[in-house]
Amino acid sequence: MNETSPVLNVTIDGIQVSVPKGATILEAAERVGVVIPRYCYHPGLSAPAVCRMCLVEVDGAPKPLPSCVQQVQDGMVVHTASAEARKARRAAVEFLLVNHPLDCPICDAAGQCELQDYAFETGQLRTRNIEPKAVLGRDKLTPDILYFADRCVLCTRCVRFMDEIAQEPVLQVIQRGHKGYIDTMTDELFEHPFSMNIVDVCPVGALVNEDFLFKPRAWDLDQTPSICPGCSQGCNVLLGTKENRVLRAKPRPNNEVNSYWMCDHGRQALVNWGAGDRIEVPMIRESGRLAPTDWPQALAALSRTLEARPAGARAIVSAGASNESLYIARKLADKVGFKGGVFRVETGPEAGLPGFPKLRLRAERAPNVRGAELLGFRRSADVLEAIRGHKGVLIVLEDALIDAPEDFGVELEMFIYVGTHMSPAARRADIILPSTTFAEAEGSFTNVEGRVQRFAQALHPPGLARPLWLTGSTALAGLGAGAVYRTAAAAFDALVGEFGEFQGLSYAKLGLGGASVAEAESSAANVS
Amino acid sequence: MSESIHPAVCSAQPSQRADKNPDAPLFEGAYKERFDHILSRYPNKRAALLPVLNMAQELRGWLSPATITRVAELLELTPDYVRSVASFYTMFQLRPVGRHLIQVCIGIGCDLCGAEEVVEDLLEATGTRIGETSRDGKYTVVEVECLGACGFPTVVQVNDKVYENVKPEDVEGLMKELD
Amino acid sequence: MAYPHAHPREARVLSKHFGEKDAIPIDGWIERGGYKALDKALAASPDDITQIVKDSGLRGRGGAGFPTGLKWSFMPKDGGKPNYLACNADESEPGTFKDREIMRWTPHQLIEGCIISSYAIRAKHAYIYIRGEFVDVVRILNQAVVEAYERGYLGKNIKGSGYDLDLTVHLGAGAYIAGEETGLLNSLEGRRAEPRIKPPFPAQRGAFGMPTTVNNVETLAAVPHIVLNGADWYRQWGTSKSPGTKLFSCCGHLQRPGNYEVPLDFNLRDLVFDLCGGPPKGRQLLALIPGGSSVPIMTADEIDCDVSYEGIEAAGSMLGSGGLIAMDDSTCMVRAVRRMVEFYAHESCGQCTNCREGTSWLAKILRRIERGQGREEDLPLLLDIGANMAGKTICPLSDSAAVPVVSAIQKFGREFEAHIQDGRCTAVN
Repeated sequence: MNETSPVLNVTIDGIQVSVPKGATILEAAERVGVVIPRYCYHPGLSAPAVCRMCLVEVDGAPKPLPSCVQQVQDGMVVHTASAEARKARRAAVEFLLVNHPLDCPICDAAGQCELQDYAFETGQLRTRNIEPKAVLGRDKLTPDILYFADRCVLCTRCVRFMDEIAQEPVLQVIQRGHKGYIDTMTDELFEHPFSMNIVDVCPVGALVNEDFLFKPRAWDLDQTPSICPGCSQGCNVLLGTKENRVLRAKPRPNNEVNSYWMCDHGRQALVNWGAGDRIEVPMIRESGRLAPTDWPQALAALSRTLEARPAGARAIVSAGASNESLYIARKLADKVGFKGGVFRVETGPEAGLPGFPKLRLRAERAPNVRGAELLGFRRSADVLEAIRGHKGVLIVLEDALIDAPEDFGVELEMFIYVGTHMSPAARRADIILPSTTFAEAEGSFTNVEGRVQRFAQALHPPGLARPLWLTGSTALAGLGAGAVYRTAAAAFDALVGEFGEFQGLSYAKLGLGGASVAEAESSAANVS
Repeated sequence: MSESIHPAVCSAQPSQRADKNPDAPLFEGAYKERFDHILSRYPNKRAALLPVLNMAQELRGWLSPATITRVAELLELTPDYVRSVASFYTMFQLRPVGRHLIQVCIGIGCDLCGAEEVVEDLLEATGTRIGETSRDGKYTVVEVECLGACGFPTVVQVNDKVYENVKPEDVEGLMKELD
Repeated sequence: MAYPHAHPREARVLSKHFGEKDAIPIDGWIERGGYKALDKALAASPDDITQIVKDSGLRGRGGAGFPTGLKWSFMPKDGGKPNYLACNADESEPGTFKDREIMRWTPHQLIEGCIISSYAIRAKHAYIYIRGEFVDVVRILNQAVVEAYERGYLGKNIKGSGYDLDLTVHLGAGAYIAGEETGLLNSLEGRRAEPRIKPPFPAQRGAFGMPTTVNNVETLAAVPHIVLNGADWYRQWGTSKSPGTKLFSCCGHLQRPGNYEVPLDFNLRDLVFDLCGGPPKGRQLLALIPGGSSVPIMTADEIDCDVSYEGIEAAGSMLGSGGLIAMDDSTCMVRAVRRMVEFYAHESCGQCTNCREGTSWLAKILRRIERGQGREEDLPLLLDIGANMAGKTICPLSDSAAVPVVSAIQKFGREFEAHIQDGRCTAVN
């Protein structure tokens, strides 16, 4: 290897790996699947190398080195599981437990606690410590976050999040040595739109979300990768669900969108998303009255509606619906003769994160504004006004029309309501098709920057509720307009074939990280 | 303190005095001049933090939350940060102390030579327990780690004055001097 | 005989004028030959000065013993960024009180050393970081600095040489760890005195992100003598690896405690028994710590060695800061070690897990043993905790805290065992 080469060779536990200059041992180890235990290191923050958990043995070094800051040198031979490295790790865990209350049975972090994990891994089922433990007590830091000082390992991840990422350094280490704890200046609670990330970065149960406290145990939660529908940013999240309810959301790393973070608004919006009385069965109007029915009946009624109608179809859709459902809504309208469709977007105050400027709580509080636009729908402040005077078919997708007047729809030839919740206006529909929330079916959203991102199904839909991409495509297929899309992938791939903006993408290609329509456009241009 | 102090040494003025006034302004007159001198010696304002906290304590006797907030404002730092730094250093008092802060060295040099008895006698003479301020607000006796004069045990520091070779029998005389 | 117990066997270079009140003001100091070395230095080039100090073999007197001239040579010479000198006057190692006496009796000796050293490393600003507890000493030092400014030894165009230097005295506020060089830099910058990860070393990125040399008071005070008299003159004392003289702060159970300056090849036993007069009458020397509480304890029969860095190391301890702590046979070893460990527990900055938790755990165990509730398994436990604290943290405070425990158990295990068995100290008589 010549001196100018930026690539260094290192051996980690006998495995050779090449890494770029400047990489740390910890990063190099991850490349070969060796995860070195750590508390203070967090990939989204600076590394203070204080927890001493990631010490590894390096041939030729007189003492173990902190792998989180030690940069790889060419030819380095690293042992992460040698007797010396294991003794160092064992020591760090033992020290952290000396004053730890060991209150796992009542600790929210139990089951997702790195201290628990490594105490177990290093085989420390009994303590050598018989001295009385320090008692520091607990404190409330924000309206939603409690700090249990006795559980704190002083890794300072929370301090660094507020300092480096939020850039409002309200959290500080107070006192020093074994008397140290984390606090703010005053007894007043602090508020920050991204405050809950300090709970996520806490490797133990020192910082907990009061809202989540004592509800489920971490191991009772199912985790599903998803996209936050709280705004048009499209933060990648993991939904924690239990008994068919969303109990929490945690950010899922995606450096193109949200790094390791997400805002408090999104988290709060996600909990119990879609709760309330749901439409569980299809309904069709018979002799002036809505009557529950089954899917074959409902879809037959839908097919009849889609026969040629001179007045054409207009649509009111939702920027909270998936690309796939919006696509089918569009196709349904096309079948009749698309006369335009609109959607509205609720807005709220923005909030930024200076340490990761790509991530903002966006004013547009809906996940798929861009997708709806690309599929030919138009944003409108007054969707009711936009369809005024229309006399043909109206397709409403996931907009409950709560502001509609009592006589809404009297002029319409046919009113098809596809939604999750009932409303007085919806009750006037001719056909009601129960649909799913983003958590109840897979699909994709297109975020504010044109990044298409997939979410997986986390919950069972209630009753007979099904996504429109499945039900609508079934009706269309019966009329010879396309296939039945039994997966969101099939629906999305069909969408790509019809809407040039999505060219070059495929559901499989989106993967877990998503892909951008802009990128797809430019790469398609390069090919041609 | 009214006379002007050379800028080179404004950052090094002992901070524990008997004539403290918890409501003294931050900073006026000669103290304002000292504040400006301190700032002139460093490439940034943060570096002036320890000297300025020292000066605030010299005036007010301790660093109350209001004092910390004011110092933070003056140096364009956050109060949270200033509290964190202040709490790191043992000489910054984050609670009020007696007019005479009596610090007895219990470092190894003094401990070997009987510091414990000096502490006991001082507590008896002041009628206090460790760290507690006497009812009349005059005395606070604290044990401190090595004061760096191990050859002259026991070392006792009262405010900004150091007493060397203090033996239990010297306590009575020391207390008279403070009255 | 002057300053409290001067002894004819001393080699008094730095401490020559200790005890002379007249040597404190600048006139008295100049009468005693002060600031002559500065004139000589300013006539030479910075690199020549660095070379003289390199040749003299002067090693850092703060405890680590790093060659001073070599340290200076790491400083950039291009002048792209301002260089700084930081004088470490945060003397806090238990048992050590030499820097305090240098500043108390010969403040101009230090100031002259600071000016010459700043000139050698091309610094335009020097800071003396003095520990906050030195309330009386800082007044003396401050007065001397003002005098030096008034006489033109500091400020612009020093003595017509064209060299400018500002010197600022900066008071600490009570933190032993601010004596660790990177802790000092953080503290000087208005931060918590938490040590920094090295590299980068201070010569690359020190105070305010600029190249900085951190030198101990005694090191800097030796510089004028070396510059004035030459490297060979300095090498007349000591050994080839440890040239020169060194101040020993002697405390504990001694007849004549105080500071003694001896050549670095002086015999340690002679220092204790001859210069310091040994333990009080009727007592036997039990243990000796030769270099501040961070170095291994020695038994009375291990001390027949010379006081050089390598001499004490060969005898199983370290020269450290030269803070010599003598303990006679009335000493409860458990208590003495507990007291030293409590110091480290109090002074740990708390960044690193092993140090933050280890120091207080050690202290708790020792307190329990002292109370008479020791268990047989406590001694191996203490040793293992000590091993888990050593060599695993950002700075050496953790190692320092483990040293007295481990070395005392290794060398005075019988005292510990007896204390555990009897439930009280039987050594005190």
